[in-house]
Amino acid sequence: MALPKLAHTPAAHDKLRALGILALNGMFDEMDAVGVLRQAATDVLPGDLAIVSSFGADSAVLLHLVAQVDPSLPVYFLETGKHFAETLDYVETLKKHLGLINVHAIHPNAADVQRFDPNGDLWETDPDSCCHIRKTEPLEPITEQYGGWVTGRKRFQTKERGVLPHFELTSDDRIKVNPLAYFNDADVNQYKIDHGLPEHPLFAKGYKSIGCAPCTSVVAEGEDPRAGRWRGLNKKECGIHFDFNGAIASPMTAATRHTLWKDGAFIADPFHEWADDSDPATASYKHVPLAVFLANRDTFLANPHPLGLLVVPGDRIEDVEADLGRFASIAIKFPAFSDGRGYSTARLLSERFNYSGEIRAVGDVLQDQIPLMRRCGINALVVTHEPTRAALLENRLPEVAIFYQPVGTTEVPVGTRPFLRRVS
Amino acid sequence: MYRYDEFDATFVAGRTAQFSDQVKRRLSGELTEDQFRPLRLMNGLYLQLHAYMLRIAVPYGTLSSKQMRMFAHIARTYDRGYGHFTTRQNIQFNWPKLKDIPKILEELASVEMHAIQTSGNCIRNVTADHFAGAAADEIIDPRPIAEILRQWSSLHPEFSYLPRKFKIAITGAPNDRAAIRFHDIGLQAATNAAGEIGWEVWVGGGLGRTPMIGKLINSFVPNEHLLAYLESIMRVYNRYGRRDNKYKARIKILVHEEGLETIKGQVEAEFAEVRGGVLTLPAEEVDRITAYFAPPQFTAQPATKIDVAYQSIIDPAYGRWLDHNINSHREAGYASVTISLKPVGGAPGDATDKQMDDIADIAQRYAFDELRVTHEQNLVLPHVAVADLRAVYEALVATGLAEGNTGLITDMICCPGLDFCALANARSIPLAQEISRKFAQPERQAEIGDLKIKISGCINACGHHHVGHIGILGVEKKGGELYQITLGGDATESASVGKIIGPGFEAEAVPGAIETLVDTYISKRESAGETFIQAYRRLGEAPFKEALYGAA
Repeated sequence: MALPKLAHTPAAHDKLRALGILALNGMFDEMDAVGVLRQAATDVLPGDLAIVSSFGADSAVLLHLVAQVDPSLPVYFLETGKHFAETLDYVETLKKHLGLINVHAIHPNAADVQRFDPNGDLWETDPDSCCHIRKTEPLEPITEQYGGWVTGRKRFQTKERGVLPHFELTSDDRIKVNPLAYFNDADVNQYKIDHGLPEHPLFAKGYKSIGCAPCTSVVAEGEDPRAGRWRGLNKKECGIHFDFNGAIASPMTAATRHTLWKDGAFIADPFHEWADDSDPATASYKHVPLAVFLANRDTFLANPHPLGLLVVPGDRIEDVEADLGRFASIAIKFPAFSDGRGYSTARLLSERFNYSGEIRAVGDVLQDQIPLMRRCGINALVVTHEPTRAALLENRLPEVAIFYQPVGTTEVPVGTRPFLRRVS
Repeated sequence: MYRYDEFDATFVAGRTAQFSDQVKRRLSGELTEDQFRPLRLMNGLYLQLHAYMLRIAVPYGTLSSKQMRMFAHIARTYDRGYGHFTTRQNIQFNWPKLKDIPKILEELASVEMHAIQTSGNCIRNVTADHFAGAAADEIIDPRPIAEILRQWSSLHPEFSYLPRKFKIAITGAPNDRAAIRFHDIGLQAATNAAGEIGWEVWVGGGLGRTPMIGKLINSFVPNEHLLAYLESIMRVYNRYGRRDNKYKARIKILVHEEGLETIKGQVEAEFAEVRGGVLTLPAEEVDRITAYFAPPQFTAQPATKIDVAYQSIIDPAYGRWLDHNINSHREAGYASVTISLKPVGGAPGDATDKQMDDIADIAQRYAFDELRVTHEQNLVLPHVAVADLRAVYEALVATGLAEGNTGLITDMICCPGLDFCALANARSIPLAQEISRKFAQPERQAEIGDLKIKISGCINACGHHHVGHIGILGVEKKGGELYQITLGGDATESASVGKIIGPGFEAEAVPGAIETLVDTYISKRESAGETFIQAYRRLGEAPFKEALYGAA
């Protein structure tokens, strides 16, 4: 990304900075979570970004993103001294499972605890103060070291977070990154399933949002997930999330409905269609039609931004074989579901040219063809057809789960006809 | 015969469940007819003139008596008491209800049958020589390879939405009884210099609007590379076949427009990439499948020959049946019997539920439980002891299927025509019935000898009229039905496409015109041994044309 690094000298908050955040949100509004985090870690705040995690019920998702982007990113865990034993076990489980190599526990200042909470019951008499000495205070010196930090907060969690953007500017002029802002409950669960993430041991027992043991209770079916936190008190946030700049930069386009299905969920799509007036030299996150790419190949190869490729029926994917590595995503157009040329394109990409990036089907993508597309190597779908969307979400594609033909690169031969058979 | 193992059974059950769900979604309105059409077609379900039509695959035309009984059961329970055997070696039921289809498919699955890919723009049921594994002239039984092709092509993820349908035919004999030169791909057993058996690959044949004789694209592909080679052809076709015009979408047009050498170059380039890869067919696998098709336990027979001339004097009808409906078998003392589904005045290819049950009984008792469907719309008992021929004949007489007319003028191929088909321009079954009545006299048929009449009710040529020695094509003209006559077609290894002889005829005039052509042939033939097609090739069209339309 050509975005200049935003300095974090504690300067007075100014409109330019706010506008920068506004622009960031506009640019990344439709990007998926891992894309947001990757951009934040590599382009916006390289070497200057930390993660704060509670290692709660949903923390695995954010930490899995971290592991994908860079397992050595610093992760801080607020060891408040009031956690469930299961949470502490879970810290170790996740570290091991995800291969995170830079996890640090932050402890409250012992003198403060001795002074304000000598009996360990401050949570009961004054929960805000308890949070303050066990979370807000210990975190401050850490966050001061970084230009920005990453949270796992999500819009769906509470009404107050309903407008949460991907990037926020804090009152002390730091950038707070919320890659999971647009995730909903189903997204989180699906993501955990798809990636086989270990569950917090308490999740199965009904804890949906897990903080310190005394202030966390079980959430009933249908209840706001965070209703179990500080139950009965007029308190929704612990304070560490509460200091963002009064006017939150709102997204430029409201992504009311994601159409990109990938890794088991509809997610924000960082890519946009190529337009007639798109500029080969500066385009970013566009699927460039193959013919346009060939006509402007040198310009595109000099363009530093992430690009995709659009392949329509009749295009010869062989013509761009040498440049496939240039593309983060290849969109195969199915102008009608009955036009099967895209299946050959997909197989050539994944099997012959060993293209390992995203191969997405666009156009007339319907549930009855999706199993065939997947077998041919397509790993993402842009779906607008409502029954198909429902079938995907409910995981009930009309599929014959065993195959006679060896197709694809990851065949697991089974049965007595190993050369022909495959079980999905 | 091939027997499903657990994997095959699970596959068909999975496909049945999948299609049942699609039917349910159609019935609930979630799927529009436009969306449902390609899905139902992929499973052999057509919407015809009056009702849905379900086409069931008889893989390479081979079936057991148990499977035949299931057809009888379906005809009785879900249809109107009959089924129609087709030129694709399949069976069609003309009156099933959409809501019954899942149940029918379930019942079929219980006898290892299905309707997968009997229509739609995919690789269709592979057809084969109906005397496979029995014929005396055979180099190799093609059915093991046909079965492997069935498996390879079933729900192929890359080739389920081809430009158009795709038909593969295979024969292991030099005498082509499977019309392989009129298929998208034809495979004929061949021997290389080292004496190994492999396959000649013919590509781009077909009938329909634009009849084409297939072209030889490779004269020898060994078993081990056959799947890779076919996948290469399929990929070239899927990528480059025309999709702008459904009438120009078959591979024959691609081969014709691009030229065989261009297509061959593309196929070879693709083959170079995939050859030796995952599709390589191990010899053990061919052997394993071949074991399913092991010949039955033939035993030494008391009688190895039958005196047809003598029998003809004792019982002329039996003599005619022996003369025409028996094919020589590779095993001494055995013969293959053709059960004619062309009784005089009948609808070609139709059989009632009772007849299907009777045939199943005969196959079980006299023919090692095995049956075949021929592309000429007859049935075959491939292995019958010569000593049992009389008993088989009498059982066939009892069920009304003992017509000794195989290969004769009344053994016509005929499409369903305007009586059933939504595409047809003209009726064909009534015409076939009229012609059949006109030439009903057995002596007359014997005098005429081998003569193939093929009738299509429209240009799509399901009745193979292009390759009839005499072809009849129904067309619509000024709101009426008119029939064009072609001469000189041939579906065998000496393949040719018939030529239109002149202006068409009204339906009533067609049987008379056929008679004129036949009389011309008889008067001009060199001897009784010169067949119609031989005489036509020697004489050309002139004498026939003159007889029909008068001197020019």
